[in-house]
Amino acid sequence: MTTTLPGTGTTEVRPVDVPRGRARRGRGGRSGKAGPVTYTLLTLAALVSVFPLYWTVVAGSHTNAELAETPPPFLPSAGLFDNFAAALEQAPIGKAILNSVLVSGAITVGTVLFCTLAGFAFAKLQFRGRGVLLALVIGTMMVPTQLSVIPLFMMIAELQWVNQLQAVILPTLVSAFGVFFMRQYLISALPNELLEAGRMDGASTFRIFWSIVVPVARPAMAVLAMLTFLTAWNEFFWPLIALTTANPTVQVALAGLGSGYVPQQAVIMAGTLLGTLPVLIVFTILGKQIVGGIMQGAVKG
Amino acid sequence: MATVTFDQATRSYPKTDRPAVDALDLQIDDGEFLVLVGPSGCGKSTSLRMLAGLEEVDSGAIRIGGRDVTDSPPKDRDIAMVFQSYALYPHMTVEQNMGFALRLAGVAKSEIARRVAEAAAILDLQDYLDRRPRALSGGQRQRVAMGRAIVRSPQVFLMDEPLSNLDAKLRVQTRTQIAALQRRLGTTTVYVTHDQVEAMTMGDRVAVLKDGLLMQCDTPAALYERPANVFVAGFIGSPAMNVLTGEVVDGGVRLGTAVLPVPRDRLARASGGTGRVTVGFRPECLELVPPGEGVPVVVGVVEQLGSDAYLYGTVGDERSGAPLQTSDVVVRTEPRHAPEPGQTVWLRVREDALHVFDPVSQVRVD
Repeated sequence: MTTTLPGTGTTEVRPVDVPRGRARRGRGGRSGKAGPVTYTLLTLAALVSVFPLYWTVVAGSHTNAELAETPPPFLPSAGLFDNFAAALEQAPIGKAILNSVLVSGAITVGTVLFCTLAGFAFAKLQFRGRGVLLALVIGTMMVPTQLSVIPLFMMIAELQWVNQLQAVILPTLVSAFGVFFMRQYLISALPNELLEAGRMDGASTFRIFWSIVVPVARPAMAVLAMLTFLTAWNEFFWPLIALTTANPTVQVALAGLGSGYVPQQAVIMAGTLLGTLPVLIVFTILGKQIVGGIMQGAVKG
Repeated sequence: MATVTFDQATRSYPKTDRPAVDALDLQIDDGEFLVLVGPSGCGKSTSLRMLAGLEEVDSGAIRIGGRDVTDSPPKDRDIAMVFQSYALYPHMTVEQNMGFALRLAGVAKSEIARRVAEAAAILDLQDYLDRRPRALSGGQRQRVAMGRAIVRSPQVFLMDEPLSNLDAKLRVQTRTQIAALQRRLGTTTVYVTHDQVEAMTMGDRVAVLKDGLLMQCDTPAALYERPANVFVAGFIGSPAMNVLTGEVVDGGVRLGTAVLPVPRDRLARASGGTGRVTVGFRPECLELVPPGEGVPVVVGVVEQLGSDAYLYGTVGDERSGAPLQTSDVVVRTEPRHAPEPGQTVWLRVREDALHVFDPVSQVRVD
């Protein structure tokens, strides 16, 4: 617990006659101070990552004709709002965003809760058939979605859930990946003695889960929540089958955008931007929590 | 307050041929401080965990205060445990850690606060109640772990090597504090350690275990003075007792070229017709005598401790060339006139300090 990370103390013992620049380049990553090379590379990587989003804004604020010019426009313009209006007119984007928030939110809450419960059970509880059950759970990851679409749709139809949100929520309320992810995290992050201390203090298994396991698992739960929310938000195949354009999620609604004889790319881009913003907001909120969680785990480890 | 009884308690793990704890019989008195000690894998921790309810009892029974708790879950046993790693809840403050059990038990908030404050005062933790375990030093964490046990005022304290994560100096300090605290609270305590010094200094009685079997359970002084078998003789005491096996001759046992006198009746009973006998004597029970008398020992190493000097040597003398027996002998001597390595010294065992054991059964003979 008290060991020093290798290299953290090296800057103090560096001989004074060594030029700073060289020392930085030699172990820039370890000494905690980034050199100009690091900054340049990171800036480039950030620009490359941000460019598609920027292009969405640019393309979303022009017309098809303007986008076809050479060179293409590189700055956004006020036309963005016209295209927003067009997109909102062509598809129920407002409703789609609301639906997507409901669907992704429910899936995220369900997945995080059930995967943490199952992960805890697989990681720390002793019961007969644990290994076989875990293998079965992991085995489901190898079944492609396409294979289960038809039986799933038949079940949904039987339940008369077609075009209803629960048809999209229910099949993805728990994921094998999430169970495995939480199990792996809890095996290493949750010492058995902590659970035994809980039992000695008189806690029931449920109480131990709620008061000890969940707080310890929080960083992993945040990561899983983010991944699940993004996956659910971007899910296209199953919602397209289970829902209609009258009651769509964002991705289903976007599929119906700008679909004339010539696809209206500007309108599609504007709609895409509308559909992306909520995810960006969620990530901004959760991002800090995730980074904090990862740091906490690192220090403890 | 309560007595604790292990009645033929046994724990076997699946796929092992030997029980981890084999028919343990132990009676712990009300308010007693009992230490379970032994080398690693001897079953001491398993015994404690059986008492805690964290480990199943395969056969036999465990009683606390006369009540059979063999199949009760931990929460129904009214016991508190201090873990080796402390097992503090990382997301709770010191105050919440200490009050968690009371909160679960539905104790009123004001009462929890009072009892936590009381325990914090005893353990000198008042200034840290708002801190998380992460922000505490090792010694403070250890005290929080103690506090978590104290606030519950349980019938029995269980401690599983609570000092092994502290540095040497703090360990000695905390050792006396725990012993004093236990005397003050008067709560029956079962304490597990592998450190025989801890066992000797803290326990009212010490139970020595080996391979899941109870070797001896007695007061520290009695264990030291009258070890029941060769294992206890060698385990208790530092440096360890010298244990040598030799051929029985008239009036004693032959060690090298010399004969160590042993009372005739003990010799007869210990040898049991095998013609051999095992003797033991502690390093401090040896006297240097003029050359020619007693047992000769060739000094190999001299350890100067300031207050004492320890000679590590082999039985034999320069006349016989190579040492006749490979067993090392440790002798405590006066530090200022300690012999040099390579020298031969002649030793006599103080008569009352000689332990005799049966070489086959390893059991003590009086």
